[in-house]
Amino acid sequence: MKIALAGNPNSGKTTLFNALTGSQEKVGNWAGVTIEKKFGTLKSKYNPTKEAIEIVDLPGAYSMSPFTSEESITRAFVVDEHPDVIINIVDATNLSRSLFFTTQLLDLGIPVVVALNKTDLLTRDQTVLDIKGLTNRMKCTFVKTIATKTQENGLDALIKEAMAKGGQKQATPFQVPDEALKAAQYDAKIAETQDRARYDFVKEVVRSVEKRQVENRRETMQDKVDRIVAHRWLGIPIFGAVMWLVFSVSQTHLGPFLADTFVGWIDAFYGVVEGAMGDSVSPLLSSLLLDGVIGGVGAVVGFLPLIMVLFFMLALLEDCGYMARVAVVMDRFLKRVGLSGKSIIPMVIGTGCAIPGIMATRTIKNERQRRTTAMLTPFMPCGAKLPVIALFSGAFFSDAAWVGTTMYFMGIALIIFGAMIVVRITGEKNKRTYFIMELPEYRFPSIKRATLSMLDRGKAFIIKAGTIILLCNALVQVMQTFNWQFQVVEEGMESTSILASIASPFAVLLIPLGFGAWQLAAAAITGFIAKENVVGTLAVVYGITNFIDTDALELVSGSSSVAEIMGLTSAAALAYLVFNLFTPPCFAAIGAMNAEMENKKWLFGGIAFQLGTGYVTAFIVYQVGTLLTTGSVGTGFIPGIIVVGVMIVAVIAMMRRGDRMAVPKPEAHLA
Amino acid sequence: MVGLFANAFGLKTRSERPTSLESAAIGETYTINSIETTDSEMKHFLFTLGCFEGERVTLVSVLSDLYVISVKDARYSIDRELASAIGID
Repeated sequence: MKIALAGNPNSGKTTLFNALTGSQEKVGNWAGVTIEKKFGTLKSKYNPTKEAIEIVDLPGAYSMSPFTSEESITRAFVVDEHPDVIINIVDATNLSRSLFFTTQLLDLGIPVVVALNKTDLLTRDQTVLDIKGLTNRMKCTFVKTIATKTQENGLDALIKEAMAKGGQKQATPFQVPDEALKAAQYDAKIAETQDRARYDFVKEVVRSVEKRQVENRRETMQDKVDRIVAHRWLGIPIFGAVMWLVFSVSQTHLGPFLADTFVGWIDAFYGVVEGAMGDSVSPLLSSLLLDGVIGGVGAVVGFLPLIMVLFFMLALLEDCGYMARVAVVMDRFLKRVGLSGKSIIPMVIGTGCAIPGIMATRTIKNERQRRTTAMLTPFMPCGAKLPVIALFSGAFFSDAAWVGTTMYFMGIALIIFGAMIVVRITGEKNKRTYFIMELPEYRFPSIKRATLSMLDRGKAFIIKAGTIILLCNALVQVMQTFNWQFQVVEEGMESTSILASIASPFAVLLIPLGFGAWQLAAAAITGFIAKENVVGTLAVVYGITNFIDTDALELVSGSSSVAEIMGLTSAAALAYLVFNLFTPPCFAAIGAMNAEMENKKWLFGGIAFQLGTGYVTAFIVYQVGTLLTTGSVGTGFIPGIIVVGVMIVAVIAMMRRGDRMAVPKPEAHLA
Repeated sequence: MVGLFANAFGLKTRSERPTSLESAAIGETYTINSIETTDSEMKHFLFTLGCFEGERVTLVSVLSDLYVISVKDARYSIDRELASAIGID
């Protein structure tokens, strides 16, 4: 038996899905969190039979005629795949809109059971609903649910009802009058007539079953909060403060404190393994195990607490309803560079991980805005880049908080700059677009959900560290131990190793950026597999076992020695950090870009743009930094400026060409 | 002084009779009389939200440059361009 969950955006489908199946799919308090269908099996707790019952969670849709791409998934599934029962999740506080979609679902002939969700809010607003009346008028059963609760949430009754309905026929609650249809002469008109009749029917039903004390159109406490939170001038500082709080808790306070304890365990483990192996194991194997695997992976895993705290904070943010307000605040600014407020949501999600961030662009209707957002979202430093930031700010800038903060602001600046360039290249700088977004009610974020999200991400991180990162580190260790004749590289001859000979040609290109060492080039390359690898590889190639000091409450131990081993000036170190953050993201994220852009020209253009951005920003940081600190430009300035100059000229030429294609600006404002 | 403060928080009211949501008064409910756009998809999307001729719309507030409207018991934020496309009386 197959049960589909369908309903308007932000009605609580995924929350219900998670409760029914025990899954941990992402939930959030804004419209458009779910962008793909998700499958799960009904928990035995709710399933009295032996038969496996499949539950399918679908993206939210306002109607059967899709507006954005994720909405079309819903329509395609319920129409083509014939679920046995549809559970239509309806936000009980908004019947007059939600029931429109319900009437469309009822027309399919598939049995529908309505989960009247968020009924706890009815009590708060003193709204009274006549459930029996609803069931009679709509010709389908209505069950009250509160999906966010674990007890007395109505799910038992809902599932019982859905299972009883399986295989039955569904009656439609209303017919469009024939004379109205006859009057409409062509197809589009017929559809419109039907839709109007639907809304008339819904209006009539709601009038007869709903008694409200609080009118939605009245200004509420929430609107008063919005006046401050989404205020023209206060909105930006508030958003800045919120994000600063998220990052300072995860990166300078709670995160490092937990990381410190955690790293103590890794060190102890290193000691135990070292002791257990003793002298009986060949030095090659022991170095592979200790430095390659435990050292390299340990260096990355040490940052796990930071990342978990970050995800916990982000989950709270996504849960409370603030995201939609950020979109409101940012719309004004993003509009100037051809994007809309909706683009900020992928970017905030991208601070956790770029992949869900890029996927979240699916809810953006305008194609260029969607592709541009997918291309620029990876500039927000993600969780995997956190260890890199933490390592460099610790080793070269004595844990200065400005380093991390600056990286986020630089990310934002590059996004705005990038959007400006893209909108001109595409020749759409004067194109008119509309913005519309549902504003969800604020609610108190759920600690339990944030904890689950944090544990889930933590688990994923450990799995990644134990597989891809472990493998990469072991490979890097082997490649730097042997030369092409598979002989062990002798001390002092490190540059003959396989790794060195592969990375060296790339290192030459990086000389104008201040870090032309093969070790650093190798680390940057492994970073494309996973950004945490930058830290892991550096640990392996420089033979540093752990970056986090367990004694002092510091992220990076013996910072001066780490800096010394790498042989970088602070300007070059900052340039290297910038380069790793603002080059193309990891391959997985590039895959997500490919999926969302659906266009190879955009994909390769995007990657080229990211590569160029990484190169140019690193060049500027190194050369200007060196000029400021030493009074003269750094190494390789002349070849570097030629490369950078060519890139800039190419971009300007493309922008010019785009401008010629652009339609002239509309003269007067349509009133 | 009070006026200035109210202005900063978007509380100003307008006296002239508005023709579209762009010039509507905050807190007032209007009847939609037209959706003036060539973007048929947007027009249809608004329809599915219950925002079409003959329906009621309330301008709840103006935040930043966006208009917060209430249609069929739901809140939306829309930009000035879309607000000017929604004709009211």
